[in-house]
Amino acid sequence: MPGSGNVDVTSAELDNVKGSMHLKKAVWIITVLLIWAATVPLVSCRRVGGQWHGDEKLIILGIDGMDPQLLTRFMQEGMMPNFSALAQKGSFRLLTTSIPPQSPVAWSNLITGMNAGGHGIFDFIHRDPRTFKIYFSTSRVEAPKHAIRLGSWVFPLGRGSAEQLREGKAFWEILDDHGIPNVIFRIPANFPPVPSKGQTLSGMGTPDLRGTYGTFSFYTDEPTVMAGPVEGGQVIPVEVEGSKVTAQLIGPDNSFRKASPPATVPFTVSIDPFEPVAKVKVQDQEFVLREGEWSGWVRAEFQLMPLVGNVKGICRFYLKEAHPRFQLYVSPINIDPSNPALPVSTPESYSRQLSNEVGEFYTQGIAEDTKALSDGVLNDKEYLAQARAVLAEHRHIFDSEFPKFRKGVFFFYFSSLDLNSHMFWRLIDSHHPGWDATLASEYGSALPEFYQEMDQVLGEVLAKLDEHTTLLVLSDHGFAPYYRSFNLNTWLLNNGYITLKSGADPDQSKPLANVDWNRTRAYGLGLNGLYVNLRDRERDGIVQRGAEVEALLKEIKGKLLAVRDPQNGMAVITRVDRADEVYQGPYSDQGPDLLVGYNRGYRAGWKTILGAFPADVLEDNTNPWSGDHCMDYTLVPGVLLSNRKIEAESPALIDIAPTMFAEFGIAKPKGMMGQSVFHPERPNY
Amino acid sequence: MKLPMIASVIAMRWFSVVALRLPLINSPVMLVIAVSLVVGLLMVLVFRAVSDQKAIRAAKDQLKAHLLAVRLFQDQLPVVMQSYGRILRGTARYIRLAFKPLLLVILPITLLIVQLDRYLGWMPLQHAQPFLVRVRAVSPDALNEVSLELPREMALSAPAVHLPADSEVVWRVVAEINGTYNINVAAAGETFSKQVVVSQDLARISPTRRRDRFWERLFTSGEPALPTNGPIQSIEVAYPPRNIDLVIFESNWIIVFFVLSILAGFVFKSILGIEI
Repeated sequence: MPGSGNVDVTSAELDNVKGSMHLKKAVWIITVLLIWAATVPLVSCRRVGGQWHGDEKLIILGIDGMDPQLLTRFMQEGMMPNFSALAQKGSFRLLTTSIPPQSPVAWSNLITGMNAGGHGIFDFIHRDPRTFKIYFSTSRVEAPKHAIRLGSWVFPLGRGSAEQLREGKAFWEILDDHGIPNVIFRIPANFPPVPSKGQTLSGMGTPDLRGTYGTFSFYTDEPTVMAGPVEGGQVIPVEVEGSKVTAQLIGPDNSFRKASPPATVPFTVSIDPFEPVAKVKVQDQEFVLREGEWSGWVRAEFQLMPLVGNVKGICRFYLKEAHPRFQLYVSPINIDPSNPALPVSTPESYSRQLSNEVGEFYTQGIAEDTKALSDGVLNDKEYLAQARAVLAEHRHIFDSEFPKFRKGVFFFYFSSLDLNSHMFWRLIDSHHPGWDATLASEYGSALPEFYQEMDQVLGEVLAKLDEHTTLLVLSDHGFAPYYRSFNLNTWLLNNGYITLKSGADPDQSKPLANVDWNRTRAYGLGLNGLYVNLRDRERDGIVQRGAEVEALLKEIKGKLLAVRDPQNGMAVITRVDRADEVYQGPYSDQGPDLLVGYNRGYRAGWKTILGAFPADVLEDNTNPWSGDHCMDYTLVPGVLLSNRKIEAESPALIDIAPTMFAEFGIAKPKGMMGQSVFHPERPNY
Repeated sequence: MKLPMIASVIAMRWFSVVALRLPLINSPVMLVIAVSLVVGLLMVLVFRAVSDQKAIRAAKDQLKAHLLAVRLFQDQLPVVMQSYGRILRGTARYIRLAFKPLLLVILPITLLIVQLDRYLGWMPLQHAQPFLVRVRAVSPDALNEVSLELPREMALSAPAVHLPADSEVVWRVVAEINGTYNINVAAAGETFSKQVVVSQDLARISPTRRRDRFWERLFTSGEPALPTNGPIQSIEVAYPPRNIDLVIFESNWIIVFFVLSILAGFVFKSILGIEI
């Protein structure tokens, strides 16, 4: 009765209400079911109307430096059964590498589907034309810009930053945009890792805790060893007092202190008076090392400011000698993946999760300590043990993560072939100036064994392939011997393109030191780069754009191609590319003006890379770093193998991202240059 | 004074025999959570049983009244100052009322923590994972006579490191299979054993065996004392310390236990209407 305040309800009305409620409930349930039915496919298969139906998988094994000639030889010798099977059932092609064929450039080509003009990575190192300051091309780590100073303490205002310098969108960012799951392990040129919905771990380009590409420490009481910095590390003199050595681990620069001295962690080594064995104590960790033995990962916590700033790192110890001389190698201090001081993964917790599952691991981009071998701190046997430990660690991570892969894209990077081809080429090539028959008999099998390990990894992948899975096995470049060094800056000096200040000698200590820029027209920096001293670009540029630069480039190119090695009459340089002819994209004019492509057997000398002037233009390479690829890009192609038929005649690194997108029905983004290697006739992919 | 200690040891023995067989309790995280909840409850129950609830309630009410007076009469300085004085006196009274029950609660909890730390403070050794055995002798001269005898399932993986300056000798040992073993240290014609636990599960661990007095050993050792006139001061096995993984951070179990048990205590106090 309306308005009475009382409500009388008959049983029929109640039944009606109940019926209506049941009906509403039924409608509600059906609606929920319908929404669920419509949502499930949307969620599990985001591109219902497209070509991806949620169960396609793409696996990419990125094997840095796998050389097609060596691979073919090892396949023919029956050492690579899984590669042979893949090549036979699927496809095996040469993969055109980047210009220049250097890993950061090459992997950036793969990552972005563009060449260096699009992603802005032209070399391992880059230079600021206004200051001639040299910096790593792929990332920059900076301390806070502003700070308050109180006595010896510095209080930063704001946070420091790690900045990735590669331009262009990474392929996994585009996969993210289309809801395609992805897992990307250790891909180079991805530090700090770009924000991603997938799981990524940064690779080559990731610094150690000191912000370098890897600085080892070598502690010794050997009086004949020169103390101080060496090429890839630091030699630190110590004294053995009462069978005990007290020393410091050298950590990152402490920006909380005036003049930013390095933060340190003390450690002690107690040596047994008679046996070649010692106990090492680092903070609350103790371990025993025999002579010739590596430690596991050791944590070190560097205190920057009490109660405020601590930075955690990890390192490995190697007791090279306990008696009569003390020699201890300590690896570069790596960023601790369980507590990273700088981001090394996405999500940030992923590196911690991974370290919980597989233990600590190298986070430093180039984990193999090639510099320690080059500097003579580690010998071949010792370096090989370290390099094998790196691969074992990578395989352990692979074995842990690969079985979890269900859908989308799985990319895994292996560095071992690249670094060990660099170091052990002299032991497989009797023509090399560094060839040593004894060493070759002992360690000549190391490189083939690393190839065989890659075959084992491929075997694990092949065993899990199904009809929905596409597999790509690729390398960013091949390899060639590095017999002789060509010192480009010395050549430029001798040919009058560089002029030194009057009366000054060539200074080897600083890049392009003592150069009279007002009388210098071109200079070399990096492994393949030659720059013109341009008036509106370089700080003291003198060469005008237009006819003058055109004539200069033509002249230098002609002269470089005419250089012959007096030892054998061979051409030292087989190709010189002009940047404006080979690069496309917004950053084309920021790199070198000429790309010098060396013949097989030749490469830029170590000192000329950093702008120094060694005495000779050409010299033998007796450094253990004996193989290389920073040459004429047509001479060092990579490999591309797939379980599917590759239709493209000359696939290139820039085709990999478009191939990936074609597999998932994603149109090729604007600016991306390549095409699908499976469907080269469909240019929109 | 040894009675609570004996009781807690018996409780822990029961715990190791029965409770650890339950899958959930065998997880360190679950164990810390479970123990924290139980201790939180027991704390407030014991507190209620041994405290003067009426007096505590009155003391707290008076404190509230004085605090209210400070706010209400903030423009009258003499009243405010008088209230502050009363707050100080009231606080002292409250502390006096709470101290005795707190003392009665803290003592068994301390003993419980010592016992639980045997399980949660360290992780058992893993097979094939090297660990250090360190023996400290009474003098550097005694070091030359010290030797280590291992069971069949264990082996040395490096020569002994003699450290005369510290009167120490350190061995690196590897166990092949899981189990609870006794290693023997021989010195001056005598043999001293030390327990070593190699396991994947939670287990009771005693990192050192030493010859100090009872109270000194209570916090560091779960094994009988070494003879005071013997040549060995201590035998230590370097078990890896354990952290409790709480997904977003890792922490020592005692910190987790303190936070959780206090939170649990506050929840149970409200539910049971207990004045603390």
